[in-house]
Amino acid sequence: MTELLTGAQLMCRVLLEEGVEVMFGYPGGAIMPFYHALPEFPGLRHVLVRHEQAAAHAADGYARASGRAGVCVATSGPGATNLVTGLATAMMDSAPVVAITGQVPRNMIGRDAFQETDILGITQPITKHNVLVQDVEELASTLHEAFAIALEGRPGPVLVDVPKDVQNQKVACEAKGLQEPVGAKGNGFARVRSGRSGPAPDDLREAAELIATAQRPLIMAGHGVVLAGAYDELRCLAERTGIPVITTLLGISGFPESHPLHLGMPGMHGEVHVNRAIQQADLIVGVGLRFDDRVTGNTAAFAPRAKIIHIELDPSEVGKNVPVTVALVGDCRVILGELLRTLRPRDCTAWRLEIVGLMKSRPEQYRGDLSPEGILRTLDDETEGRCTIVSDVGQHQMWVAKLYPYERPNTHITSGGLGTMGFAVPGAIGVRLARPDEPVWAISGDGGFQMNMQEIATMVQEQIPVKMAIFNNGYLGMVRQWQQFFHGRRYSATPIWSPDYVKLAEAYGVAGWRVDNAGQTREAIRAAMAVPGPALVEFMIEQEANVFPMIPPGASLSEPIEGEPAPLVPA
Amino acid sequence: MSRALTLSVLLEQELVTFTRAVGALRRRNFPIKSIAVGPSASPGLARLTIMMEADQATADRAARQLEKIIGVREVTAFPASAGVARELALVKVRAGHERYAELLDIALLYKATILDESSEGTIVEVAGTEAFVLSFLRALEGFEVLEVARSGAVAIERANGASIPLTFTSEAVQ
Repeated sequence: MTELLTGAQLMCRVLLEEGVEVMFGYPGGAIMPFYHALPEFPGLRHVLVRHEQAAAHAADGYARASGRAGVCVATSGPGATNLVTGLATAMMDSAPVVAITGQVPRNMIGRDAFQETDILGITQPITKHNVLVQDVEELASTLHEAFAIALEGRPGPVLVDVPKDVQNQKVACEAKGLQEPVGAKGNGFARVRSGRSGPAPDDLREAAELIATAQRPLIMAGHGVVLAGAYDELRCLAERTGIPVITTLLGISGFPESHPLHLGMPGMHGEVHVNRAIQQADLIVGVGLRFDDRVTGNTAAFAPRAKIIHIELDPSEVGKNVPVTVALVGDCRVILGELLRTLRPRDCTAWRLEIVGLMKSRPEQYRGDLSPEGILRTLDDETEGRCTIVSDVGQHQMWVAKLYPYERPNTHITSGGLGTMGFAVPGAIGVRLARPDEPVWAISGDGGFQMNMQEIATMVQEQIPVKMAIFNNGYLGMVRQWQQFFHGRRYSATPIWSPDYVKLAEAYGVAGWRVDNAGQTREAIRAAMAVPGPALVEFMIEQEANVFPMIPPGASLSEPIEGEPAPLVPA
Repeated sequence: MSRALTLSVLLEQELVTFTRAVGALRRRNFPIKSIAVGPSASPGLARLTIMMEADQATADRAARQLEKIIGVREVTAFPASAGVARELALVKVRAGHERYAELLDIALLYKATILDESSEGTIVEVAGTEAFVLSFLRALEGFEVLEVARSGAVAIERANGASIPLTFTSEAVQ
């Protein structure tokens, strides 16, 4: 039996067929037919955000936490352009997002119609793929394909632009009477993501040989481990060979931090012993990472003694930033599995002890009573390690990355590649909807928080109990730190005023606490966890606390700044 | 070592796929010398020929980026010496009565074809390697050249893939 559907109804049906349970969006003129159809599909939950950027970040957060595609919806013109930062964020961090935008009717395209923008042209460099739907006949297949492209191989955002008249076009479809999402709640990480070709047996053999014979090998694990769900394989590789494991910013929570083989984070704010180990290593096994400049420092001086095995799904990443000895292209879970079949147990204790010998006890780098370390330790205590942390961008991001002990897979979510301030609050909305059974903390600085704090309203209206923490130092702290180190302490445009966040929370009908000293930390976190809805805790941290160590931009990993620079002496 | 390299790209014959491919090269700052596009032997597919001055690794990186684009079917990167490249130029030139014979002599020398004649000017077509075309244009410098339209090079890899040192037809003429 067939039924006559509008394009808009068909879009909703495809979303259900793709297992979509929730989407984040904002209506407007060119997407109104879609919103008109939406109430007929109660299986599709729509979360109204306060700004489309937040819709994209929330979809991204949902995708990262679930492994399934996150969906965001916006109207044409400004609605669509507001998605841009979120899509670029998802692109850089390989998050499967499907963005649906309304477009002006087909006969108006190209005439600078009201709220017309070339969103295809605008998002071309920041999406994995994008399509303008030209006719309702291709609408369903295009949308299905968008999900497939977003999820397959290296995930990424796909934008589908649907002209308003296509949403209104009628099309005969097979009657399905679909009410609920199909196959929802599956774990998107379990799928094997196919590369274009598996690694050649010779390459696998060569890699195994290098791993077996290296004297100073290291594993560097990136986001690919999380995306492929290769936790067990990574752990097996490390344990069988005794090779110590470094986790990049997005690789954090890909390997348990309490594991004796875990070393920490590399790169610009990586621990000194980690970066030293890289500089001394004779082999680096890179798993699902792209050797980003924040990880490598000056690439010419990166790991000068090391051969590199690069296990990576995206062939275009191989050799892009650093020369590679052996490339194993494909899903890292599969490749690690294949390597494990041939690798014999070995031991790297002497090398590991050498690295541990380079470790320094954490210096008293966090001045003031209310240290980030203390806050994060207390948060870990109070959540019993059972929470997902979504961080924003800046100093607090580095503290959150380094000081919270991540034991469970994929519990650290942040904007790594693009470094998008304002990500945490809307991102956490998506994460929480993907993980309704565990606490989700959005941790921001006072700068990033003010970029998307309007989304508290979304949490309240949709009853999404995200717990927000603000590390308030009255500065755009990371930029201020650079100004202190590299720009003669000229704090240009970095002091930042904040509203009274407790009162702000109150205005939104949300519980809020301000923590001025370490003694109040535990109580405030406990109270925030105890309230059923969203909650906000502001931590008044030391104004000029810095993130140490730090590799100056462009320098090699061998040149860390480990403590406060000498005070400026007036000339 | 930087040298002339060709990227030959088979892609869907849609403007949007073309802009995706060109955009991918532009935003990663690849050293592109010329781009030519036209229909391929397969219906619905276009052939994009990109000439770049780069090392092989850079060309390979560009190829990997292009391969990621939905709608791009095949990318091959080969040194210019392993293929044959030709471009076409149309030149509108005014010779005047007194020098017209001289223009014809040059055309003959370069196997160029006169396509159109009027009292306002002559349109001449020449095809060959980039160097050959440039040489032709230099030969016309003494005339009043009104307009030049060049196609950019199209190239095809030798059937046996052999890399043959370039001889007179390109570098030698330059």
